[in-house]
Amino acid sequence: MRKNSSASLLVVLSLMTVLLLAACGDNTATTAPAATTAAAATTAAAGTTAAAATTAAAAGTTAAATTAAGTTAAAAATTAAGTTAAAAAGAGKKLKVGFVTDIGRIDDKSFNQSSWEGVQKYAKEAGTEPKYIETKDTKDYAKHIKQFLDEKYDVIVTVGFLMADATTAAAKANPNVLFIGVDQGQSTVINNLAGLVFEEDKAGFLAAVLAAGMSQKGKIGGVFGTKSVPAVLRFGEGYKAGATWMDANQKSLVKAGKTEVTIAYHPDGDNAFSDPTWGAQQTQSLIQAGNDIIFGGGGSTGNGAVEAAVAAGVFAIGVDTDQYYTLPKAAPKLLSSATKRLADGVYDLLKAASAGTLKGGNSVGPVGLAPFHDTEAAVPAELKALITKVDAGLKDGTIKTGVKV
Amino acid sequence: MAQVLVDREEKIDSARSMRQYLRHSRWPLVALGLLLLIFIWRVFFGSNQPLVDIVSVIILTLSFATPITLGALSGTFSERSGVVNIGIEGMMLTGAFFGALVGALTGQVWLGLILAPISGMAIALIHAVLSIYFRVDQIISGTVINIFAFGLTAYLYSLIFTSSRRNADAGILPSLKFNIDAAPFTLGLVSVLAIALIFVGHYILFYTTWGLRTRAVGENPKAADTAGVNVFKVRYINVLISGFLAGLGGTYFSLQVVGYFKEGMTVGSGFIALAAMIFGKWTPLGAWGAALLFGFCQAMDSALQSWYGQIEWLHTFTQALPYVVTIIVLTGLVGRSRPPAAVGVPYSKQ
Repeated sequence: MRKNSSASLLVVLSLMTVLLLAACGDNTATTAPAATTAAAATTAAAGTTAAAATTAAAAGTTAAATTAAGTTAAAAATTAAGTTAAAAAGAGKKLKVGFVTDIGRIDDKSFNQSSWEGVQKYAKEAGTEPKYIETKDTKDYAKHIKQFLDEKYDVIVTVGFLMADATTAAAKANPNVLFIGVDQGQSTVINNLAGLVFEEDKAGFLAAVLAAGMSQKGKIGGVFGTKSVPAVLRFGEGYKAGATWMDANQKSLVKAGKTEVTIAYHPDGDNAFSDPTWGAQQTQSLIQAGNDIIFGGGGSTGNGAVEAAVAAGVFAIGVDTDQYYTLPKAAPKLLSSATKRLADGVYDLLKAASAGTLKGGNSVGPVGLAPFHDTEAAVPAELKALITKVDAGLKDGTIKTGVKV
Repeated sequence: MAQVLVDREEKIDSARSMRQYLRHSRWPLVALGLLLLIFIWRVFFGSNQPLVDIVSVIILTLSFATPITLGALSGTFSERSGVVNIGIEGMMLTGAFFGALVGALTGQVWLGLILAPISGMAIALIHAVLSIYFRVDQIISGTVINIFAFGLTAYLYSLIFTSSRRNADAGILPSLKFNIDAAPFTLGLVSVLAIALIFVGHYILFYTTWGLRTRAVGENPKAADTAGVNVFKVRYINVLISGFLAGLGGTYFSLQVVGYFKEGMTVGSGFIALAAMIFGKWTPLGAWGAALLFGFCQAMDSALQSWYGQIEWLHTFTQALPYVVTIIVLTGLVGRSRPPAAVGVPYSKQ
């Protein structure tokens, strides 16, 4: 036997240091820089009468849309379908909002960050102090939600499809707490759980119209997080559908005559949305294969793709938010971003929750293409006009993506 | 005591039968062959730009293999001197972080490239002190390094960048750029360095006095000591070299490909590197060969998407292949791989 007991002591000590460090950097709910805390609970009862949520007509349509930004007033006015006692009691209340990120950081410059911005916007107005917990491991979803439950938060926002099961379970077990699940489509209506979903296929479709119109070689690529997340798959499938539609309907705008779409999905795993190296490598590969437009999506994996494309001098299309602002490195060659207006969607739902009109089931958030910014001059006017037309067509249903995910 | 011996016998027996089983089932090799076949098929029959396809796969292979190459070389130096280093992953991550940190704070990516290997050496020093001076079990010490590096880099990252919203961009190292038939190719500086270092490493280990001493210490430290070699010094320096190389490997992620740090961004390359080192029989050239094999699997996975799109089974298959190969390699199927005799055994003069 080796003699050193002092050595093992040392190892134990260093292990403890590591754990301590990990604990500090890890799951501690970080208080966000928000407005005053004092006003929080005291004014709660005041506004309760304002919204006549109790008179809710049983509107059967669960998927009724909370539409674009700016319709917050409308959202407050909508009749609540199946509003629970909890929701009604929360009317006009200044809600304490807890926020659980999906794998990845709060500042991922993508879906966590945008959703969190919606929470912050609401909290600033309401004068409450929201908190977030960053998830490192898919096994911790339930634990993080429970942390907010234990601390008696009014609304818990969970981000990401992967957290759907944990959120649903928590919502069922805690009917008095409101839940908002971003990217979590609801198959059955749970009254205190609102799923914020987006028609990503439409955004992907628009991205493809732009990409196919801009590609010189008729080869466009996509690099995405795992395809086992429907939202991601919808982007990818919509992208393919858009290219096919262009070939069929707008041949004059497709320079090479036809468009070939190649899509790379990150393998499943805890790092599917936080692997910029992989995203960049796939982009390198796609560019070598002749693709001259790269559409990147899925947390920092997609960011890696977009940045790598721009670094190689290739046009890129971002995702979720207008990445012109979040990825300054990519700005010069960022054509646009296929946006889901997460911040607006989350904000609207929180306003509804605050007014006591939050509905269970699905709410469809707004999607679209971000402005061209620096590439404004590079995109032909004809193509711009077409994009506007297709956007309208997708909205009124005359153009269908045909994506069923 | 007797019971312990019996247990050990049984363990050896089951390991042996496992190995025999794997040796008789050759499907992993068949799988690799199939992949090569697809490659050849594509290049000669299915492609309108065969040269581009070939060069593309070669360049991707070299790129993807870079961190594995440097990691495996790192392990080779450490283990040849008799110190097991399973902390390569942690050292890489440390290098990736400090490289990016310095790059972001100073705006000089070159300073990052210089500091990353040094930070790798610093963390390797912990491993060296623990395993050489304190004679801690080297596996435990390496594990501590891995956990420590992950926690430390993630914590420091959020401390320095997240809360202050400081710009984390470290810049990107230059790459070799060339065109073939209008297809643009790039090979990063770190990838080029990795290839050069393999040959330098090979030379040092097999054609210099230092290399001879290193190998002697790894095989029989007592004899080396008797012959006047300072065993401790040789081991310390080799572990530091190991840290240097692993730290450099980390810069592939943060300074070559992405341009910033992301927690856990080395995604297990250090462990694959360990497998490559064993596969390469603890020699630099062998380790490189193994690293290239892993790189080739990844490159094919990537290329196949462009060639044939998302054919589900093919895709799953190529993605799984590196790991399957790793398992096969670690169970000792592909040739018998013999570690340095004194590896993992702390040396004491008594």
